[in-house]
Amino acid sequence: MKVLVVEDSKEIASSIHDFLFREGYICELAYSFDEAQEKLLLYSYDCVLLDIMLPDGNGLELLKFMKEQGIQSGVLIISAKDAMDDKIRGLEGGGDDYITKPFHLPELHARLRAIYRRKKLSGSNIITFNEITLNTDTLEASINGLLLDITRKEFDLLLYLVVNKNRVLSRQSIATHLWGDYTDNLANFDFVYQHIKNLRKKISAANGADYIDTVYGLGYKFNASKV
Amino acid sequence: MKLVDKFTLWFIGVIVVTTPITSYICLNNIERKIDDVEIARLKTVNIKAAARMTDGSSVNIPRDASFTTFTSLPVLPADSFRIRKDPDPDGNHKSLESRLTVSTFMTINGKAYEVTTSSYVPASRQILNAILDTVAWKLLLIIICVAVSARFLSQHILHTLRLTMKKIHNFDLKKKITFPQTNTTEFKELNTFLKKMTDQAVEEYTAVKQFSENASHELQTPLAVIRGKLELLSETNIDECQATLLADMHHAIEKLSKINRSLILLSKMENNEFAVTEHIKFCRVAKDVLAAYEDRLEMKNIEVKRELDKNIQLRIHPVLADMLMNNLLGNAIRHNVQDGMIHIILKQQKLVIKNTGLPPETPPEELFERFRKSNQCSDSVGLGLAIVKQICEVCDFKVSYRYKAPLHILQVDFCPESVINEAEQDKFETAAVVTA
Repeated sequence: MKVLVVEDSKEIASSIHDFLFREGYICELAYSFDEAQEKLLLYSYDCVLLDIMLPDGNGLELLKFMKEQGIQSGVLIISAKDAMDDKIRGLEGGGDDYITKPFHLPELHARLRAIYRRKKLSGSNIITFNEITLNTDTLEASINGLLLDITRKEFDLLLYLVVNKNRVLSRQSIATHLWGDYTDNLANFDFVYQHIKNLRKKISAANGADYIDTVYGLGYKFNASKV
Repeated sequence: MKLVDKFTLWFIGVIVVTTPITSYICLNNIERKIDDVEIARLKTVNIKAAARMTDGSSVNIPRDASFTTFTSLPVLPADSFRIRKDPDPDGNHKSLESRLTVSTFMTINGKAYEVTTSSYVPASRQILNAILDTVAWKLLLIIICVAVSARFLSQHILHTLRLTMKKIHNFDLKKKITFPQTNTTEFKELNTFLKKMTDQAVEEYTAVKQFSENASHELQTPLAVIRGKLELLSETNIDECQATLLADMHHAIEKLSKINRSLILLSKMENNEFAVTEHIKFCRVAKDVLAAYEDRLEMKNIEVKRELDKNIQLRIHPVLADMLMNNLLGNAIRHNVQDGMIHIILKQQKLVIKNTGLPPETPPEELFERFRKSNQCSDSVGLGLAIVKQICEVCDFKVSYRYKAPLHILQVDFCPESVINEAEQDKFETAAVVTA
C-alpha cells in the first residue's frame, strides 16, 4: 500500500512513517499544503492521511482539490479538533474516515486498512490469516471453515489483532478501539482482559492456534509466527 | 426599605421636630406684637386724657371705648409708666381675652396723678389654638406633598440607578456592558467604577478561557507524539521491567488525554458551541448508550432494571445527550459492585439512575465540582460529573445526586415547567385534531 501522510508536525509524521514502514507500506510525507498538492499531482497513492490544520491551508481545501482533480485515493482525516461539525464536514467533503489526536497508531492502521479494503480491494470483505477467516460484512469469523460463535466486540477485537499482527497493542489502544467514546469513564483493563480471555477460549475450542500473547503488563500481541 | 421611603421619613421627622419650636416662636412673636401695639395705643390714650384734663374738658372722649381713670398720688414715682397684664380678667380660667392695663404717672396742674387705661387683647390660648390649627393643616399638606413628589422625583432621579442595577443584574462574564448616560455626579462615578470592574472581569475571563482552550488544543499534538513514540518503543526489544515502565506511561498518557478532552468539551460548552436547535429523541440515545455498555454490564454481572418511556423529546444537542447518558451510565457501572444493580427510569420530566455501590466518602453534591472525586476509584479523572452538570446547565436541566443506602441516586429534571407545558400543548393539539 502506498500512503501519503500530510501532517505538519514532523514528530507525528515520522511516528506514522515508522509504524507503517514496518508494515511494508510505502509511506511518503508532506509537511505542508503545497507539498501535499504537488505530490498528489505527481504520484498516485492508495490512501492519504490528512491533517486538517496545516500551516499554509486547510485540509478540507485539499479534499476539494482532490475531488476536482479526480484523485481516487482513500482519505483518513486526522484532526486535533474533536468537534462534531468538523467530523461531518470532513466526511461530507470526501474523507472516508476520521480520527482525532492523540490517536493510537494501531488504531490509525486499522482504519487505514479498512479504507483500503473498501476502496482498493473493491470492497473485499474477507481477511484470512492461516486458519482464521474474518468476514467484515457479515461479522463472522471462522477457523478452518468452522464458524466461531463470537460476539460483535470479540469480532472487532480479533480483527484489530489480526490487522495489527506482530505488534504490541496496549490495553488502552484496545479499549479505545472497542468502545470509542464510551471509554472515557471506565477503567477498561478488566474488560479488555475479559474479552481477550473469552476470545482465546473460543479460538482454542475451535482448535485454532493460540496466537494471542500477553506482553508483560503492557498489552497483547497477535503472534503470527506461532503455529 | 426603599431609598425614597427613607428620605421621606427623615424629612417628615425633621418637620415634626421643628414645627412645635417654630409654633412656639410664632405664638410669642404674635402675642408680643399685639401687646406692643396695644400698649402704645393705651399710652397715647393716657397722654391725650391727661391733656384733656389739663384743659379741663371731659376726661373721656366718646370715640375711645377705653375707660381712663385718674388717681392722685402723694409723690410721683420714678417710673413714668407701669404695665400690667391680667391673663384671666374673668377669674374663671375661661377668659377669651387678657386685660392689658397701662398706667402713666404724670403731673397735671401741679399734682401727681396715675392715669390708668385698660384694654382687652386676645388671650394667648386663643392665638395658640389658631396656630395649632394652621400647623396641623400645614403638616398634613407637607407630608402629602413630600410623599407624592418624592415618588415622582425618585422615578426621575433614580431612573439611571435602576437601569444600572438592571444591567448589573443581567451581567454575563461573556460580554461587556455599557451603562446609561446620566448627569448626576454620584451615578456617573458609580457607572465609571462598574464599567471598569465589569470590563476587567470580562477581559480576564476571556483571557483565562482562551488560555485553557489554547492550552488544551496545543496539548493534543505533543500528546499524539508521545503516544506514537511510546507505541513504537513498545515494539522494540524490551524486557519485562521496561514493559512495566511503558505500561505506566501508556496509562498516564491515556489519563492526560482524557482530562484534556474533557476540558476541551467543558470550554466548548461554556462557549455555547452546542447551541440547541431541535428536539431529539432522548429515549433512543439512552437505548444506544445502554447497548454500548452491554458487554461491560454483563462482565460485572450487573442487573439492569429499565423503565424507559417511549417518544421522549428533549431540546438538547445530540453530542451532549450522548455524553450525558454516557457519563451517568459509565459512573453507575464503574462505581458499582460486582453483581450489583442499576435502575434506570426515563420519563418525560426526568431521568433517574439508581445504582448500588460503596457509600460515598464526600458529600454527594460536592462531586459535581471539577476534579473532585470519591477516593474509591483513583483511576477516574474526576470530570465526569462536572461535565454532567455543565450539560444540564447548558440545557436548563436540573441535576441532583443523593445517597440513600444502599443506592446512589442521580436525578436529572428536564426543566419541569416547560416540558409539562409542551406536553399539555401537544395534548391540546391532538384534541383539536381529533375534534376536527
